Amino acid sequence: MHRSIDLFQQNISGSLAALCIVALLGTPESVTAQTTATDPLSGKLVITGASTLAPLVAEIGKRFESHHPKVRVDVQTGGSSRGVADTRQGLADIGMVSRVMKDEEKDLYAFPVARDGVGIILHKENPVQALTDEQVVAVYTGKITDWKDVGGKHAPITVVNKAEGRSTLEVFLHYFKLKNRDVKAQVIIGDNEQGIKTVAGNRHAIGYVSIGTAEYDESQGVPIKLLSVGGVAASTETVRNDTFPISRPLHIITRTPPGGLIKAFIEYAQSKAVHDIIKQQYFVPLVD
Amino acid sequence: MAETLSRPQDHREWFAFVLVWGAAALVTAVFCWLLGDIIWHGLSHVSWTFLTTSPENAGRRGGIGPILVSTSLILGVCLAVSLPIGIGTAVLLAEFTSDQSLFGRMTRRSLDVLAGVPSIVFGLFGNAFFCKALGLGFSILSGGLTLACMVLPILIRSTEEGFRAVPASYRLSAAALGLSRSTTLVHLLLPAAVPGLLVGLVLGIGRAIAETAALIFTSGYVDRMPQSLLDSGRALSIHIFDLSMNVAGGDANAYASALVLVVLLLAINGAASWLATYGLHRKIMTV
Repeated sequence: MHRSIDLFQQNISGSLAALCIVALLGTPESVTAQTTATDPLSGKLVITGASTLAPLVAEIGKRFESHHPKVRVDVQTGGSSRGVADTRQGLADIGMVSRVMKDEEKDLYAFPVARDGVGIILHKENPVQALTDEQVVAVYTGKITDWKDVGGKHAPITVVNKAEGRSTLEVFLHYFKLKNRDVKAQVIIGDNEQGIKTVAGNRHAIGYVSIGTAEYDESQGVPIKLLSVGGVAASTETVRNDTFPISRPLHIITRTPPGGLIKAFIEYAQSKAVHDIIKQQYFVPLVD
Repeated sequence: MAETLSRPQDHREWFAFVLVWGAAALVTAVFCWLLGDIIWHGLSHVSWTFLTTSPENAGRRGGIGPILVSTSLILGVCLAVSLPIGIGTAVLLAEFTSDQSLFGRMTRRSLDVLAGVPSIVFGLFGNAFFCKALGLGFSILSGGLTLACMVLPILIRSTEEGFRAVPASYRLSAAALGLSRSTTLVHLLLPAAVPGLLVGLVLGIGRAIAETAALIFTSGYVDRMPQSLLDSGRALSIHIFDLSMNVAGGDANAYASALVLVVLLLAINGAASWLATYGLHRKIMTV
């Protein structure tokens, strides 16, 4: 009995040792990956920023890697503000920002890669077919709290707003000339899919999300509907031809004028070769 | 007392009975519903291919192979660091420090505070300390070390309870037999304290493997197969979160990944209790 127990203990220390060896062996490999950046198209790119852009840029990165086997593209998320901060501090080679660049961000170099519309969504069974801009403002500021005041059935309105720091929030507030502190929201959400799930699960909710995502979910039978804004239907088509009024550019940014690998990646991300990936992620490619 | 039960007391008994059983049934029902929902939506997508291939199209298609590898490596780093430190601290607190000493009380109080700190705070700390200050960057190592910090308080406190649960007569008998303090510790107290350690381990692994907030800023979002511990690697929980909240049309694979996560958790817990029962705990019975 004693013997088998000792074996067991040896096994534990053995596997710990193995883990340490893995850790040690692993070190030189990744150091070489970073230091062999002498050839312009090898090395590692670190990209951080908007969660909206992260799946898109990660997919573009994968295709870029397949063309340049010595290149590694690491995409991290955390929001547009983080993309700006990390790029400024040099923690990231490229940042992702899912909105218009602000005045105080003019020190950065921004490259648009795609567009995204922000549409207002209701539950599919809500009888309200359209809202004027004034009505949307009144609903979001708490001046109208019942659907019967905007042509629906008598029921309290559940206002769904985005969390602070989300670019969709900034785009929405900018278009409706609202201040976030004036918004009287019942639910605060983060990502787009969360917004869609919230509205799909609450017949009396109103929210706003990325049009591409909403269009896809609508086609999959999720019970939501997109409202037109200013008489223009909310669709990827109207975002593409720039007639839909609430939209945002999706940028990748750098701190210094890009060169070498960074330049090659940005040019690739802006090229027609990735338009199919952009559509696959439900965004709108830029017309050039 | 039992013979003199009057009617109102009968009612009270009955009420307590319903309350206790109702609460238990409710908890079980919630668990069954949750598990049933995940199995119902996820089972048809789980296959060997799903477990071994890389994610495609932002995770909507393809599998979770690299993500499983990253998750195991993160957990491995976490346990390799937290187990020795955790057991060491617990031994110090339970065996070498008196209940009333200032040091003991301070350490316990700070551990309890740490155990209640939200995981996002550990994430930001890990990002500032391991990723930036120590220069480990977004890596499996940073993620594992951050998780170790997060798991340590739970591990230490329950292991300490495990040691305290060992009857004082064990220590006295060992001393009477002339065994040294370290022999007593290794051959008697440690195996006897295994149930406490196990509770801490199961809670800790549960917290670590389900962690999203602390990992998104440390081990990161990259879903490539990791080549070393210094590579960024996406954990299973982050993958599920991203698929369900950020990727339109990712629900099916999110459910399948959630199912894998639950099965993984049950398997690890099962393995941990099996090891403890048949490995360490039996030792004390045969001495």
